[in-house]
Amino acid sequence: MLEISELRKRFAGGPDTPNGKVALDGIGFSVRPGEMFGFVGANGAGKTTTMRIVMGVLQADSGSVTWQGKPLGYDERQRFGYMPEERGLYQKMRVAEQIEYFGRLHGLGPAEAKKATDDLLERLGLTERRGDAVQALSLGNQQRVQLAVALVHDPEVLILDEPFSGLDPIAVDALATALQERCRGGVPVIFSSHQLELVERLCDSVGIVSAGRMVATGTVADLRAAESNSLRVVVRNPAPGWADGLPGTVTVAGDRHTLRTDDGDDQEILRRAMKAGHVEHFGIEQPTLTEIFKEAVA
Amino acid sequence: MNGLMLVARREITTQIRTKGFVIGLLITALLVAAVSFAPKIFGGPTSYTLGTVNSQQLPLQAAAPDAEVTWRSFPDENAAKKAVLAGDVDAVLVNGTKVISDGEIDSQLGVLLQSVNKESRLGAAGVSIPLLRMESVGADTRYEAARAGIAVVLVLLLFMLLMSQVVMVAMGVVEEKGSRIVEILLSTVRPWQLLGGKIVGLGVLGLINLATIAVVGLLGAVASGLAADFPPGIPGLLAGVLVWFVLGYAFFATLSAALASLVSRQEEVNTVLTPLTMLLMVTYFVAFYATSEPTGTLATVLSYVPPFSSMIMPIRMAAVEVPLWQVGVSMAAMVVAVLVVLSFGATVYQRAVLRTGARLKLGDVLRTR
Repeated sequence: MLEISELRKRFAGGPDTPNGKVALDGIGFSVRPGEMFGFVGANGAGKTTTMRIVMGVLQADSGSVTWQGKPLGYDERQRFGYMPEERGLYQKMRVAEQIEYFGRLHGLGPAEAKKATDDLLERLGLTERRGDAVQALSLGNQQRVQLAVALVHDPEVLILDEPFSGLDPIAVDALATALQERCRGGVPVIFSSHQLELVERLCDSVGIVSAGRMVATGTVADLRAAESNSLRVVVRNPAPGWADGLPGTVTVAGDRHTLRTDDGDDQEILRRAMKAGHVEHFGIEQPTLTEIFKEAVA
Repeated sequence: MNGLMLVARREITTQIRTKGFVIGLLITALLVAAVSFAPKIFGGPTSYTLGTVNSQQLPLQAAAPDAEVTWRSFPDENAAKKAVLAGDVDAVLVNGTKVISDGEIDSQLGVLLQSVNKESRLGAAGVSIPLLRMESVGADTRYEAARAGIAVVLVLLLFMLLMSQVVMVAMGVVEEKGSRIVEILLSTVRPWQLLGGKIVGLGVLGLINLATIAVVGLLGAVASGLAADFPPGIPGLLAGVLVWFVLGYAFFATLSAALASLVSRQEEVNTVLTPLTMLLMVTYFVAFYATSEPTGTLATVLSYVPPFSSMIMPIRMAAVEVPLWQVGVSMAAMVVAVLVVLSFGATVYQRAVLRTGARLKLGDVLRTR
């Protein structure tokens, strides 16, 4: 279990902030092995700072990060895989050498690093490009190399900052598959994203961060349950004034009248609707993650 | 340590394969070889072609054993004049009383002819004058010229090598900072490992350069016969230069990395390095001045003051014989300076290297953490 608790971080400087800017204000959450955790929040909410602290790239002012009950040190982090928001590769270094180099930095032996690199190149379809300089690759292929760099040492934990940004739909699917594979292998995966449908589709649980605090965490189902579900009824060609006295709001588009409401007797509403016209739709609407998110950070 | 070695190895293997490095090394080797053969080609032993008209040849060989003298005889002064003006002969002795030449005579040749002429006349008259015996009661100055020459070459060499390696360290730091790869690197290695590995790796490349120059230079000097003029103690001097290069490099490279970590773009490297390159230039100029006056007060004092000592002490060591304790004191001071700079540089680097964007101010970096 990766546990992040009560992280606080204040950045000094900034002309309009004499005491500095508070980036993290006691953020905390935990991720189980094999869990895919989606980290969402507006720009500047503190996602990147949190991930950088987990990876030891930044120091927190207070708070702790533990992995399997022990505080994280360099030795533990060596077995983590990390893809920072700002991608970076040695542009003039050859693809295979670069992946191998990072494998070695993560503690693999020379033969292990070579084998892991060959396997990854094969799986990512980059075998033919292994001898090319990174700068000669297309952006999509550079992204794959970046992923390979994060995966080469078969990490125990994966931390990915905006891994899907800038990818085309096919590349998104490929990356999603790769992450799900790791997850099934028992690796906790944390990734941040602004693509909320993607987070909703992939993640077992979600954390919504706002202004350096975790405002909501849990499975998508939990978060939905916490929200009040609304009833949506669509009626075609209803008699005028059919919804008078019913709770909620009616919107009209062509001959379709849509009633949305959070309370009232749903059976009574259904009877009224059927009497008024042709009921096309009657159901409980689950809020999308986007709606939950907007609600949470509001 | 493992991380540091991996970083160093990457620096070496990626640099050593670049065309720039290979071509640079080849050019250096060629230049050094050319320099060590130059005295033979341009200098050589002096040779004179002399003529006689109605005179006896003078016994020049005894007075100037190194000179090659060829004699020709002419039937009369007119024929001799023609040969002189055509440049066939350097000078012609006419009737044993005068010497004709094209323009003013070569001063060495003039003195030589004059004194040999006197001696042979006196000898003919039965007077013999024993030669004056020259004896020095001061330091051994037989090799002064050679030592000064070696010192000049050394100072230039050290300066160029330090400058190029120091700039490479800065470019490497900015490459990693600008491309943000430093963020992944720092999640696997500690900042001092990354910084140290880069400095060690590029330092090894500098040493490869230095070794190439030393080996090619020595081989060239032996092959051209120049080595015969070398003063004793060259291997010791080379070892000293190596140590001083390492110390000077550690000092300047660490500062360079610290300054470079303040900027995020390659274009800014030159500006941010300006104070450092100025310091290096000043060191170079003072050292160059010291080659002409290696025993002067300035050279003596600054040969103890880091970082000037890293270039001036080797100059003094080459130009004159420096007592070992003086070298020891100077090195100790430099080592202390290097340690101070290492801790300062590592602090700046660690704090600045992740703060990408606009150029950071050194003062801000030191104040905040």
